[in-house]
Amino acid sequence: MVYTNSNGEGRGEWWTAKAAEAGFKIEIVGAGGADATNKLIAEKNNPIADVAFGLNNMYFSQIQAEDALEAYEPSWAGEVDKELGDGETYWPLVKQAILLGYNSDKIPADKAPQDWTDLWTKDEFKDRYERVTGLGTATAQLVFAGILSRYQDDSGDLGVSDEGWKQVEQYFQNGSPAVAKTDLFARIASGEVDMGQMPSSIIAEREKSFNVNVETVVPSVGVPLAVEQIALVKGTEKKEQTQKFIDWFGSAEVQGEFAQQFNAMPVNKEAAAQANPEVVDFFADLKQQDIDWDFVQENMGAWVEKIELEYMT
Amino acid sequence: MSSTAVRAMVRSPFVLIVGAVLTWFIAAFLVWPNINVLIATFFPDGSFSGRAAEKLFSSQRAMKALGNSFLLAVALSITVNLVGVFIVLVTHYFRIRGSRILFLGYASTFIYGGIVLAAGYKFIYGDKGIVTSLLVKVFPGMDPAWFSGFFAVLVVMTFATTTNHMLFVANALKGVDYQTIEAARNLGASTWTILRRIVLPMLKPTLFAVTILSFLTGLGALSAPQVLGGRDFQTITPMILTFTNSPTSRDLAALLAVILGLATILMLAVMSRLEKGGTYFSVSKVSSALQKQDITNPVANVVVHAVAYLLFAVYTLPVVLIVLYSFADGAAIQTGELAFGSLTLENYQRVLTQQSGLRPFIVSVVYSALAALIAVGGLLFVARLLQKYKNWVASVFEYLLHIPWILPSALLALGLIISYDHPNPLVGGAVLTGTTVILLIAFVTVKIPFTLRMLKASFASVNSSLEEAAAIMGAKTLYVFRRILLPLVLPAAAAITALNFNSLLDDYDTAIFLAHPLVQPLGLVIKANTDGAEGVDGVANTFVYTVLLMVITGVTMYLVYGRSSRERSRKKKLPAVPPASQVPGPGLPGTPVAGEDAAQPAAPVR
Repeated sequence: MVYTNSNGEGRGEWWTAKAAEAGFKIEIVGAGGADATNKLIAEKNNPIADVAFGLNNMYFSQIQAEDALEAYEPSWAGEVDKELGDGETYWPLVKQAILLGYNSDKIPADKAPQDWTDLWTKDEFKDRYERVTGLGTATAQLVFAGILSRYQDDSGDLGVSDEGWKQVEQYFQNGSPAVAKTDLFARIASGEVDMGQMPSSIIAEREKSFNVNVETVVPSVGVPLAVEQIALVKGTEKKEQTQKFIDWFGSAEVQGEFAQQFNAMPVNKEAAAQANPEVVDFFADLKQQDIDWDFVQENMGAWVEKIELEYMT
Repeated sequence: MSSTAVRAMVRSPFVLIVGAVLTWFIAAFLVWPNINVLIATFFPDGSFSGRAAEKLFSSQRAMKALGNSFLLAVALSITVNLVGVFIVLVTHYFRIRGSRILFLGYASTFIYGGIVLAAGYKFIYGDKGIVTSLLVKVFPGMDPAWFSGFFAVLVVMTFATTTNHMLFVANALKGVDYQTIEAARNLGASTWTILRRIVLPMLKPTLFAVTILSFLTGLGALSAPQVLGGRDFQTITPMILTFTNSPTSRDLAALLAVILGLATILMLAVMSRLEKGGTYFSVSKVSSALQKQDITNPVANVVVHAVAYLLFAVYTLPVVLIVLYSFADGAAIQTGELAFGSLTLENYQRVLTQQSGLRPFIVSVVYSALAALIAVGGLLFVARLLQKYKNWVASVFEYLLHIPWILPSALLALGLIISYDHPNPLVGGAVLTGTTVILLIAFVTVKIPFTLRMLKASFASVNSSLEEAAAIMGAKTLYVFRRILLPLVLPAAAAITALNFNSLLDDYDTAIFLAHPLVQPLGLVIKANTDGAEGVDGVANTFVYTVLLMVITGVTMYLVYGRSSRERSRKKKLPAVPPASQVPGPGLPGTPVAGEDAAQPAAPVR
């Protein structure tokens, strides 16, 4: 029994079929990141899932804090950067960059914003960027993790200086609110807005569907990376089999095949060799923002609450 | 129907059995899980903190959103009644040309709702909408974004929520005694006077009941404000959902939900009080069926016809566009550009040839049908007793049964998980999480308040002299219930069952936490296929699922409601059930009275 938030766009079917070939009969239960996290925590006394994958480090550290994960070191642990997971219970699979993208047909690279903060400090971008209307999604939370952790200040409210909170206030005051069920790319295509947040994996496909061209901004501090992970659920009855499954799932061969199929950026160094070269190049040049994840994890719940209550208008 | 002493009540074995089962059910599935979840949220470390209230009341945004929700609830209670009564009158009371066609148009709200309905209105009146483009051509100076904010939300929600009027008020109208109307006419009363002094007063109890439902709909508004509210008119529900999903902020969600719940209960109490003030029953003992009325004033006649057909257009246009757009590609849906040449069956192919295929549809149909039948079946007895016995015990039970209206379904689901993930004596020592039963329990509980209100109302419209006569002739309690009461309330019960069934089909909030991994209902599949993460196809899939659900719910309404009205005309011939005269007691909405509506079509989809 596998819980994931990464079963969309045919991935669930692909994994089920691949696992069957390898002799694992899996049943995938898909749910959004927050839902899957809540479900795993709620079920900790009588777990239904054996393994969970696809959730990012923030979600897994929440689940780990509730003591719902079992420590296990997969056979491929040496092939990945331990730092990306917690090195104990959850292990990294795939990298995803959280980017600020803009309509490159309309804005030349030299006139484009250089950083998130340009959006509200420079007049030409005001009301031209889409801002979120809720912080329920992982992407939105990571954008704020990227902004707020630059203003870490132990004496400030929730560990963030007043200056940091002012940025958040400005972000909401000057952005064009997202519209439910209307994709950012649809709004870019219709000219309503020119830029907004986007995870790296969706860009190519959306550009094609909406017939727009999008370039991304890499601020001097770098971009936040979300790393999807896999972990063994505490209390599973099929522990041994599940461990074998994790060993198979994260192996270079399997991850490489997955990356090829779905344009993903595997963390596994050997698997990266099989990934789409454009994707690999993109990540090779990408500067990763140095974020203190323990700090973010500790405060994210309270940040979301504060932002929802005080800054979102 | 006078108030009965508790002692008299407990003497009946029927009451004792129903009472015992009910007490267990309420304790096990309404009180215990929700107390657990509330304790877990408000007393995280064993001590109470006023943090949630402090945070909320100092938040401008929360207070504004809460205010908006209340504003919408109050406004909606008025506008839905205006539009609802109007469409009921033109389809059932006045002689209007083409009223059956009009009926089908107005009945379109039976079969769809939610985000797609809001999107449908946006296709028409939004800044790139059809009507807006036309208007801009006529008035070049007008603002293309005119259809947004409070006004747009109120308009859309008003037209979207007249379902209860079409079902319950229309049925009450059929129970109005025609002899009284004729008598008034003979005395020289005008059409308007008859309407105002005779017809509307007799509908009052039902109107009170549906007003509560409209109020509740306004408080819980979610998708219409998200799509059309814009920056200035956002409601509280999205915030409740965000906070429910964040373990550290769940106390805020629970507090907000409790505030809304208390407002609902207050509304309930006010309405009950209002109802008690009046007399709503007909004086004639031999009633006759309502006949359609001509509008004698020619100007009024033309105006009513014009408005009726204008409303018809307002109701049907979104449905037509949604069906059309379900054949377009996702990008076209989101940018609002529809080219007739580009419509294909691709979306349907993609949705129906998924690996999971038809299975989720079947799972949902089975779960929803079971839950709807259990809720209505079980509450038939309960509603009967609550309506018959009026004392403090009955009141306590009644208010307890409204608990599911107070908490959002995600919290109800969490309550069930934390209460039954270990062997619990309340359910015979069983562990319920991970079984297929727990979702069924949740489905039944969330439908209890609505079912109870509407069933109680229909029992109230039964003439108590029938029951008394049967009792005098020596009939036993169960016999009276089975042979006299049941046939009379069956049409209403069938309609409630159908509405319950329809609303559970695409449930997501409870299913996400409680569904058995191998038996996943439709809501989860829809969510997985329609979320932003699913790419451009996601939006197209939403439309396909909506159209598919429209088909299922349309068929259900036809089968259950359409058939039940035929049943009614057949039952009329049974000697055991003489036509009952309309004698709704105070405080109780009237629902169909057997035998009287055979002449009128009652089926929504025929």
